[in-house]
Amino acid sequence: MKRNLYLLFSAFLAVLILPVSALAANAEDYVAALEKAQNQVCEAATKVQLWNTSEALLEKAAEAAAAGDFDEGIKLANEAGLHAELAVATAEREKKNWRLYVPK
Amino acid sequence: MKKLLIACFLTVMMANAYATPEQDRLALRAFFQERFPKLDLNEMINGLYAFDEGAREQWLEMEDFPPYEIAIEEGEEAFNTPFANGKTYADCFENGGIGVKQNFPYFDLETGEVITMEVAINKCRTDNGEEPLPWLVGELAQVAAYMAYTSRGNKMNVVIPDDPRALAAYEAGKEYYYTRRGQLEFACENCHMQSAGMMLRADRLSGMLGQATHWPVYRSKWGEIGTIQKRFQECNSQVRAKPYEAQSQVYRELEYFLSYMSNGMELNGPASRR
Repeated sequence: MKRNLYLLFSAFLAVLILPVSALAANAEDYVAALEKAQNQVCEAATKVQLWNTSEALLEKAAEAAAAGDFDEGIKLANEAGLHAELAVATAEREKKNWRLYVPK
Repeated sequence: MKKLLIACFLTVMMANAYATPEQDRLALRAFFQERFPKLDLNEMINGLYAFDEGAREQWLEMEDFPPYEIAIEEGEEAFNTPFANGKTYADCFENGGIGVKQNFPYFDLETGEVITMEVAINKCRTDNGEEPLPWLVGELAQVAAYMAYTSRGNKMNVVIPDDPRALAAYEAGKEYYYTRRGQLEFACENCHMQSAGMMLRADRLSGMLGQATHWPVYRSKWGEIGTIQKRFQECNSQVRAKPYEAQSQVYRELEYFLSYMSNGMELNGPASRR
């Protein structure tokens, strides 16, 4: 029982003293996420009409990163990339379907 | 020989698979006539006012002192003001630019491009050593408004010449019109065919027929006269798609298709809209 308590206390202590930097995202993580998102957006833009949200999200991501909030920056960059992917998905689906809507 | 046979086969297949522009136009008219059996389709040149009696009355009252009148006057003045080389816009257009709007956009067989009226106006300027004007509002829209005004009552007469490039441009515009896009996944068709005449927030949606007859338009929302491609950009933004540049190839092809669909309808531009 005493041993278990000791182990629990040790684990709690370890969490407390873990460097914050090991948990929070840093600038390098953000840059990697941003580059990935930018590539996704650029690639999508060459194929289809983008959503008007992707570039706005990238701008917000940059603002968040500039304010030191890399977690938020990464989240927004990932969302921008996702929006680009979804624009491509819609375009690919519509390429097959658009003629169905034309009156005959 | 083998290649030639394949090309012939593909051409025949294409011809059978896809409707001609004229078949598209007639099918579109039949679509709207079926949706609005009591409506005179020629009324659709008045956009939402073809469907909404109350809004139509307000609009007709506004037409007593139309907000686009100043744009026509300023456009006329610009139209008649000589360039630095002494020439005017009239030198660039058939019939001195008077009553010619019904022929725009047209497919230029030399360049292989769709030429809208705004492109022709700016080309006229650059050919005569002047700077091109901004595409969406201002002097360009005013000159276009004056030229549209001189064409009132003429019937839209957009031509798709017998050239595969012209047909491809028409088809590209058609594909654009019927393709869903943007975060809201709306095609032009969703609003202006499926939902034509229905309410979108406080306004009724106009129908596709006659949508190209009345430009440029003074929109109260804009507070000035603007071109059809300004509206394309606005529509794209409203469905959360990133708009293309004005007079980009995509928008020119869209305008080409849209204008062809209004063939035979009376020109009534410039117009006012909410």
